[in-house]
Amino acid sequence: MNPIEIKNVYKTYTRKRFLSFGKREETPVLQDVSLCLKENHVLGLVGESGCGKTTLSKIILGLEKASSGQVIVDGKEISKLTKPAFKKLRRLMQVIFQDPYSSLDPRMNVGQIIGEPLDIHGLYKDKLSRRKILEELVKSVGLSPEHLTRYPHEFSGGQRQRIAIARALALDPKVLIADEPVSALDVSVQAQILNLLKEIKQKRRLSMLFVSHDFAVARFLCDEIAVMYKGRIMEYAPAEELFSNPQHPYTEALFSAVPVPDPVRQKKREAVSLTARPGMENHPCPFAPRCAYVCEACHTAPLLAQVRPGHFCACAALPFKNKKSSFAV
Amino acid sequence: MLQNRIFKRFTRNKTSLVGLLLVCFFAFIALFAPVLAPVDNARNPYQMPQSSYAIEPQTPSASHWFGTTEQQYDLYYGVVWGARLAFKIGITVTFFAFLIGLLVGSAAAYFGGKTDEVIMRLTDVVFAVPSLVLAMVIAAMLGPDIKNMMIALTAVAWPSYARLVRGDILSVKQRDFVTAARALGAGGPRIMLRHILPNSIYPSVVVASLDIGYIVLTAASLSFLGLGAQPGTADWGQLIAMARNWVLGTSGNTLAYWHTVFIPGGAIFFFVLGWNLLGDAFRDILDPRQG
Repeated sequence: MNPIEIKNVYKTYTRKRFLSFGKREETPVLQDVSLCLKENHVLGLVGESGCGKTTLSKIILGLEKASSGQVIVDGKEISKLTKPAFKKLRRLMQVIFQDPYSSLDPRMNVGQIIGEPLDIHGLYKDKLSRRKILEELVKSVGLSPEHLTRYPHEFSGGQRQRIAIARALALDPKVLIADEPVSALDVSVQAQILNLLKEIKQKRRLSMLFVSHDFAVARFLCDEIAVMYKGRIMEYAPAEELFSNPQHPYTEALFSAVPVPDPVRQKKREAVSLTARPGMENHPCPFAPRCAYVCEACHTAPLLAQVRPGHFCACAALPFKNKKSSFAV
Repeated sequence: MLQNRIFKRFTRNKTSLVGLLLVCFFAFIALFAPVLAPVDNARNPYQMPQSSYAIEPQTPSASHWFGTTEQQYDLYYGVVWGARLAFKIGITVTFFAFLIGLLVGSAAAYFGGKTDEVIMRLTDVVFAVPSLVLAMVIAAMLGPDIKNMMIALTAVAWPSYARLVRGDILSVKQRDFVTAARALGAGGPRIMLRHILPNSIYPSVVVASLDIGYIVLTAASLSFLGLGAQPGTADWGQLIAMARNWVLGTSGNTLAYWHTVFIPGGAIFFFVLGWNLLGDAFRDILDPRQG
């Protein structure tokens, strides 16, 4: 059984304007998103800011409701669960946020922060066993038991993220949802946290949904990657397949923007322009205004179709696209 | 650690030390009022003793250290017991205004939508009328009495707390640690009491400490206008009201009855100054932008 399955999820934000007499402004955030997180796999969710990555992770966590579609966690559809049943289900999936400065309560010490999930779900017998669990947790994320009585402001960004990871692990979840867990950290610290996540994933046999806008980071950790654009999945493939064989024009453009650590090669590369052309806002393909390959084939909305074994891509112009791409990562 | 930091801040800034000393000084007087100015019989201690019924105030002497005011009320007794009354009024009114504001403000922020709209427009109505005028109207409607004056002051003071608490809760609610608590399965009351309130209450505490002085000042104004304490009550505003006819002194000597105004006036002045300096110090200490 797959830990998380998402089927045809739509999400639309409606906003009632002041004095608009019932007129509503609708903003589609997610459109027909279907994904599947396999056991002990890391699924990367990549895309530019505002494409709906975070909204999708919030919907999975039950912090927001999908407008339609199904989210199935551990075989149970979350919208059909009662409150106590969903609270129980929460133990299976935990979250790590992007900003470790805002994700820890400044007026609680580390022991209280990491111990809170244990308190909420009543997961210990007495104070001694609680203390023991906490000590094991801090050790497992590379901190020491002395840190339990300290306050978040005494720690660096990387250490704070370790505390957040320890809190997420306190409930012994099966799934970790990591919402850009390293993008707020220094590059040197990023590597430490990524290694820690990888180690924890292997030790605890976790599945992970890894939201990121950084392909290098996603490549390091992910088994599969889904590329999102304007609330839709554009391309979905095993990580190595995606990097060696990007199909969608948007994925190509994103790859061309990732710098290569070789000055000679980097100089020769040319970034694909992503400037939107005006007058194409109503095109059936959401990416058309910024796409270099728009042609007659693009007159219908593109559907996610299998282009190679296990590799899905939503582009109608794919068969006509010039295959010689000038950039390899 | 936190205590240490507070102590350092206090000693670093001389004005905040002055504020603390002033407030401590008045607190000492208020606490030991029965010792400093003994009550001669079991009557209401806030009723000042009268040595005779002569109208003209007497200048300070051995029997009346601060002199007497109109109708021979002892000024020393009035100032000492007035300090006790000032604390009583300032702290009671601020406490209840804070409590009401906290409840109403958190209800507005927690429920949102229509509830929020109704509550906030209600506070706007109170804000629209100058607070002293509104307090006067309410006090006049309820009748002149210290208790009624305190009710009027509370009714005027709570909306600023409600507004402050609501705004702070709304901003804290957006922070990731609240979302994280929800993802952990924490319920509404736990999130409110453990995460949101402890992180949003401090600005209101600062305002409360600044407010105590201001409330006492407004109470004195109401008493001066005859809408608060009644003649003969040991209340600083009332003492100044009784000095009204003697402010100009005698012809040729304008300062003949100076003590009737300057002594209770000075008490109010230093009391309010002390709380203001203390409030400023609190604001500096609790400001998270400073290290």
